Parts: sequence; structure tokens; C-alpha cells
Amino acid sequence: MNELMSAAAESVSPFLRERLQNLIDEYAYALDDEDIDRWPNFFTENALYHVTTKENYREGLPIGVIRCVGRGMMVDRVKAFHTANIFEPHSYNHLLGRPLFSIGRSANTYESRCNFQVVRIMQDGRTDLFATGKYVDKIVLEKGVPKFEERIVVLDSRHIDILMVVPL
Amino acid sequence: MSLTAMEAAPTPLSKPFQWPKEGVARAPYRLFSDPEIYAQEQSRIFGGPVWNFLCLEVEIPNPGDYRTTTVGETPVVVTRDRDGVIHAMVNRCAHKGALVCLKKKDNVASLSCVYHAWNYELNGELKGVAFRNGVRGHGGMPKDFNVADHRLQPLKVETFCGMVFGTFADEIDTVVTYLGPEMSEFIKRNLGRPLRVLGTHSQIIHNNWKLYAENLRDSYHATLLHTFYTTFKVNRLDMDGGIVLSDRKWHHISYARRAKMEEAAEYSQSKVHSANFDSALEGPGLLESWEEFDDGITHSIQTIFPNLCVQFTLNSLAIRFFAPRGVDKTELFWIYLGYERDTEEQSQMRVMQSNLTGAAGLVSLEDGCINEFVQRGTRSSPRSASFMEMGGRQVESEKQSRATETAVRGFWHGYRDIMGF
Repeated sequence: MNELMSAAAESVSPFLRERLQNLIDEYAYALDDEDIDRWPNFFTENALYHVTTKENYREGLPIGVIRCVGRGMMVDRVKAFHTANIFEPHSYNHLLGRPLFSIGRSANTYESRCNFQVVRIMQDGRTDLFATGKYVDKIVLEKGVPKFEERIVVLDSRHIDILMVVPL
Repeated sequence: MSLTAMEAAPTPLSKPFQWPKEGVARAPYRLFSDPEIYAQEQSRIFGGPVWNFLCLEVEIPNPGDYRTTTVGETPVVVTRDRDGVIHAMVNRCAHKGALVCLKKKDNVASLSCVYHAWNYELNGELKGVAFRNGVRGHGGMPKDFNVADHRLQPLKVETFCGMVFGTFADEIDTVVTYLGPEMSEFIKRNLGRPLRVLGTHSQIIHNNWKLYAENLRDSYHATLLHTFYTTFKVNRLDMDGGIVLSDRKWHHISYARRAKMEEAAEYSQSKVHSANFDSALEGPGLLESWEEFDDGITHSIQTIFPNLCVQFTLNSLAIRFFAPRGVDKTELFWIYLGYERDTEEQSQMRVMQSNLTGAAGLVSLEDGCINEFVQRGTRSSPRSASFMEMGGRQVESEKQSRATETAVRGFWHGYRDIMGF
């Protein structure tokens, strides 16, 4: 798939690296600040957002936990979050590892891999490690602004505690 | 009934259990939180006269393949031997009781316990033990030790429509008889051709396993709690549909046919939560579908007692298997399927529709927490009971309406029967 060549990581300039990493950080902060409405804006119009397990990912199976093809499906998820889905209020706190970047195959695209741990805080204060895994990203500069063209969230564990309504 | 196959007869409850006089329209809350009842279920239900879902045949396609699972809380391994025959055994070494197979899946020549290297055939028979004759003439097993006296405890196995079932019961009908004609015909409709696994995950739900068994049979809640569906008119109570119960009421099918979508007065007047979502999807690809069968049924949920469900919503075919992990904890497995014969386009539609269900399912994610809400609401009130009279008090199939709790009452009917309550 799009595993990184560590040698290629050096070919992204420090300046560009800073901008790409900002995208990854801002995405996590938006979710941690419960600003879910901003979530689809981090993606290109036809982007793929896919949450799956390591087991499915290794076997190349297409169904994981969430699969949004295009920003429209992400907007629908946000709408469902606000008006249709029922769940106990909770929030996330993302802890990100240092991402590695490399030049992508097409112009203005970059590939990235970044580890994450997400802590979930329930309304009663219960605080649990909710998910660990890696982001496998394709980032494109769209009119100079970095956006995810593809974000595959590979969960280390096969199971999800209770439910997942806020994207990771 | 071969309770002895798993454990001795269950120990009696320290406080006697009395079902309320109203019968299966009530379920005492004690059933969801009493560890003694939970322990009795392990032997009376999972170790008793039921067919337990073990795995899919496609998960163990080759000789030497194994797949581990659980029956109730008992660890089980399913194997395919060199002749292609499927076996299932308790995954517990006959020597000291350690797990023999440690991975979810593997391919092996024989089964070997890592602790003292006791080695078993793929059918569970003991081949040999390390140092049987001692080392340099010392030690070793007694002379009367016979490998034929020791083996992995077998389960009886049957396959049906690509599913592997196992039972601890010595005397039990075939799977098809256990299901009954209507249930087995419907499984043939849904799973009766070569299957392909499209992906899996599981969900830890913090509730007794029976609350999820109820939840699956509760067609009353479907459009009230799960409002995404209703709003996009995939499944509404005003659609043509109904509930079929098996003869013994253990299993059920809830089905809907896509009908003309006219606003039912009850929905628009009652202003239930169900109606307040924009009807237009920004990503309409989510619900792209095709009509797979000519019976007009577009949505079905089928339960098989005790802990299996087959869902077919639009083109999203999945097995839901919910394994008890303690009196108040259950692991719910989602196994998404397609057919070998599917075109790429059909596969894609199944993949997109997988967003509707599962741990993050736009339609079903509420089930991850709703049963926990019941668990938390009831655990301090074991002497109170639920009230389930929607659709009447009878336990019969209902072809006219899905606004009924008849299948939930059916579950309790079967449960009382097998538990002796």
C-alpha cells in the first residue's frame, strides 16, 4: 500500500514539512475541541476517509469501520452526529507521534504516516484509552493549502469500545 | 442433554428465581446482572441443546487451517483436517488445561500445546506426549498410559450454508431441524451460495448478552431510536413487513418490503424524533443499491438462538455474532459478506452500505450504548421487571406490523424453556 520509504522522507523541505504537519495537528485539535463541523474541510472534494483495523488492512479487505468516499459522505456523518445519532456525550484527546513525510507519486502530493493514541473522556469524567493506531495519509496542496486526499486510519485493535460517532 | 460435557450440572441459585405471573411480557432485571444466572446459562444454554455458531467455512478453506472462537465463555478451536473434514474441540489441553491454539487463525500440521508439547491430530486426538518414555530410562508416563484415553474434548459439528455450527449436546436434531423450515429457507436465500468476507471488526458493549439478543428482536425500537434510516426512508413501520417466529420461538425474522413511501399520519403528527433529519444526502452513494431478490424484501434481520444474527439491509449482508464476556460485557462481531459471484460494482455497493451498521454505523451505532443504558438503569433493581406488551401479550408471528415486541417475548419464551425458569 502506501508505506513510506524512510529515505524519501528527507526530500520534503523543512518549510513544507511544517505546513503538512500543521494539517495533521489542526485536524486533531479540531476534533479534540469538539469542532466536528470543521472536520470535512480538512479533505479534498473526492477524498477517501477510511477507518479500519490492522487485521482488515493487512488482508486488503475493503470494509472496516467507516468509509467515506467524498466530502459529501463526511458532511452526512456530521449531520447525523448533530441530529440523528444518539450517544452519551464524550470528547477525545489525540496524542500524535512525529509524522514521516515523503513525496507522493503525482504532482503536489505527499504521503505521510503518523501514530496516534486517542483518549476518550465521558461526560461523567471517565477517561479511557479509546484507540491506538496509525494515520496513513495522502496530502495534496490544493491552491497551496494542504488537504487530505486520503486518510486511512488503521486501528491496532479489532474492537471498538461502545461505539464510534466522532471520527478519529 | 450433555451438560456433563462442559461442566457438572449447574449449582442451584442461592436465591430462588421466580418468573413474574404475567409471563414473557416481563423480564426481571435480575436476569441481566446475576452472576449465578449467568453461570447457569453457560452450561444450560451454551453447553446445552443448542447449535452455536463457530465460524464460516471460508475462514478455514485449506487442510490444516484452524480458527479459534468461543462457545459461551468456553474457548473452542475449529479445524479442517487433511481430508477436508471440519472438527471443533474445546481449546484446552487434556494435560494441564492450557490453551492449545493461540492465534485467531493459522495453518498447522498438528495442534501442539506449548506448555509440555502434547501434540494432537487436527481432529483432536492425542498423537503423543513429550518424554513419554522418560529421559535416559528415568521418569516417563506410567505403563498404563494410553494416548487414546486423552484427547481435546470434541463438539459435534455441522455446516449449513457456509456457517459452521457446534454443540455440546449428545442428542440434538440437525441444524436444519433446529432452525425449522422457515428459518432455514431464509438462511438459504441469504447465505446459500459461495461467500466472500469483505471485512470484520468487533464492538465491546457493556451489557449482558441477553440485552443484545432482545435488542435484535425488538422491531418496535428500530425506527424510534435509529433515526437515520427512518429519515432516509430505508425502513419505516409504514412499510410492508412483519415478524416470523420459529416453531419454538427461539429464532425470528423481521423483514420489510420497499413499498410506496407515503407519509404515515402517525409519523407526521406525533413529531417523533425520527422525522427531524434532512432528507437529502450529500453523499447519496451511501444508499446506492440493487434489488437482489424477487421477493421484494429489502431489509431483514434474522436471529438464531442463542447469539447469532444475519442481517441483510439493502445489499449489506453481515453476520453479527455476540459473545458473552462476563455478566455485563459482550463482544459483538460484525462479519461483512458478499458473494463470490458479485461484480465489482455490486461489491462496491456492499462496501458503501457497510457504513449503515457496525460500531460506527449511521443507522445502528446507538445499539452500542442503548443496551448499556438498560444495564446501568436496572442493575440496582433486580426485583423489578421490564414491561413488554407492544403488539399484545401473545408470542406469535405478526405479518401485519413490526410495531410489536412479539419476537422479544419469543426469546424469553425459549429462554424460560431451556433454563427451566
